[in-house]
Amino acid sequence: MSRTSIRNKLILSFLVLLLLLMMVIAVINRLTDDYYTAQAISVALALAAGAVFGGYFSRSIVRRLNSLSAVAREVSRGDLSKDIPLLSQDEIRDLEEVFASMVKDLREMILDIKNVAAKMEETNRTLSSLSGKVLASSEEIDESAMAIANGSEKQTLIVQKTSLIINNCLDQMDAAGRQSAQTVLKINDALVKTGTGETKARQTLGYLDNVLSQIAENAKPVYRLSNKVEKIRMVMDVMNEVAQKTELLSLNASIEATRAGEMGKGFALVANEIRSMAENSKQSSREIRRIVDDIFQDNNAVIQALRKSEEDVEKGRGIIGGMVETFKEMVSGVKEISSEVKTVERVTLKQVKEIRGLLSHFEALSRLAQQNFVSTQKTTVGTRNQKEGMQKIVALMQSLNTLSERMMASQRRFRLRGD
Amino acid sequence: MDIFIFEAAGYYIGIEAKYIYRVADNVSIVPVPLMPVCYEGLIYYRGDLFDVIHMGRFMEKEGSMLHDDPYIILLKWNAEKMGLIPDRIVGIKWVEDSGGTGAVFNKRGDTVKLMTPDGIWKKLAELSHGS
Repeated sequence: MSRTSIRNKLILSFLVLLLLLMMVIAVINRLTDDYYTAQAISVALALAAGAVFGGYFSRSIVRRLNSLSAVAREVSRGDLSKDIPLLSQDEIRDLEEVFASMVKDLREMILDIKNVAAKMEETNRTLSSLSGKVLASSEEIDESAMAIANGSEKQTLIVQKTSLIINNCLDQMDAAGRQSAQTVLKINDALVKTGTGETKARQTLGYLDNVLSQIAENAKPVYRLSNKVEKIRMVMDVMNEVAQKTELLSLNASIEATRAGEMGKGFALVANEIRSMAENSKQSSREIRRIVDDIFQDNNAVIQALRKSEEDVEKGRGIIGGMVETFKEMVSGVKEISSEVKTVERVTLKQVKEIRGLLSHFEALSRLAQQNFVSTQKTTVGTRNQKEGMQKIVALMQSLNTLSERMMASQRRFRLRGD
Repeated sequence: MDIFIFEAAGYYIGIEAKYIYRVADNVSIVPVPLMPVCYEGLIYYRGDLFDVIHMGRFMEKEGSMLHDDPYIILLKWNAEKMGLIPDRIVGIKWVEDSGGTGAVFNKRGDTVKLMTPDGIWKKLAELSHGS
């Protein structure tokens, strides 16, 4: 069925209506003689026909427009499942077709939007999960970087402290080296002095031998004197005994003289005199004995002192002999100590050299630790920035998610076929 | 009166010279058990036995440690015999008889305690026996 425009339809309908009116007026004019009546009837018929035609035509257009309007209302409510009825063959048909095309496009677009929203949601979910993992990883990286930074800082401090300790150690080892050198010098001095001491001790030993022989020589007259004093004591004992016997004899003579009475008076006097002499002799001999005893005691004391001196000199000789031996041992010991101290000095110098190398390595290690510290600090800053970026991404993802949800919600307003 | 004077325990003791038989020395004394402390023992001298008394202990004092003269004074009277050990013998002196009490015998005014052998013997018999 070919298309006819509304204007053509209107013209054609008007012409048909006009033809019909003319035919009706012609009929009426034949039937009626009254002109005015005929005119009135004709006008009335024309108005009625015009009203009927106008109503029919307008109703036809309004009905299709209403139909289109109802579909448009459904579409506006989101119901895209309804088809647009293509009833007309005129300009409204174009409108219907355009509207149908629009609804079809809308339906496709909504489907696309739905698919895109679904994909977006899925992608968003995946991205959210990934961003969460990335965020967690960034936090872990941040923590690890912080731990590494702290470790690096501590390492730097430890390395610096170790460097300081090694430096101090080096100073002390230097001092020990210098001390060893001084000790070697002092040991050499001690060696010389010990040698001198040994020589002096030997000389002293010789002097002591001389003193011992001198003491032995000097002791001989004292021993002779002791023997003589002993002989004097023996003589004195004899004298004392004689005096005692004389006294006893005189006592007994006195007793006999007393017994003789007057005849014995003279004898008694003599006996008394003898007793008196014996008493004096005894007193003198006692006195001499005491003096001799004193001499004997003094002599004994001198002998004891000489013996003591001899013993002391002998002990001194033994001690100095021991000293000579000790000096010998000291010389050999000091030589050993000297060689050991020299070895210690060599070892110390070698150690100082090696520790200096170690110190340079430590300084390099310290620099590396510092660089490491700086790098880890930068890493920490980077990871923090990354974390902030990730947090922003997460926030954007969330807003995107919100948008997607809103889009999905908007899309859900549209009802497609099969929904 | 001739008195034989000796010293014992700080006392000067005098015995009439007629009782003195002899003064001896270096005579070994044989101890006798169960006798008083002052009884030293017995000696045998020229055929006679003498009871020996330590005069220092006899005077009821510790004997002095002088013993300058290790003598024994031997007494004989009425067939009795006794030996006395003095601390020191002074000698024979002539003193006036003062009736058996003390008598001054030197310029210092020391008095002599006169004793008789019987008196010594009697006093010895009164002493308690030793162990």
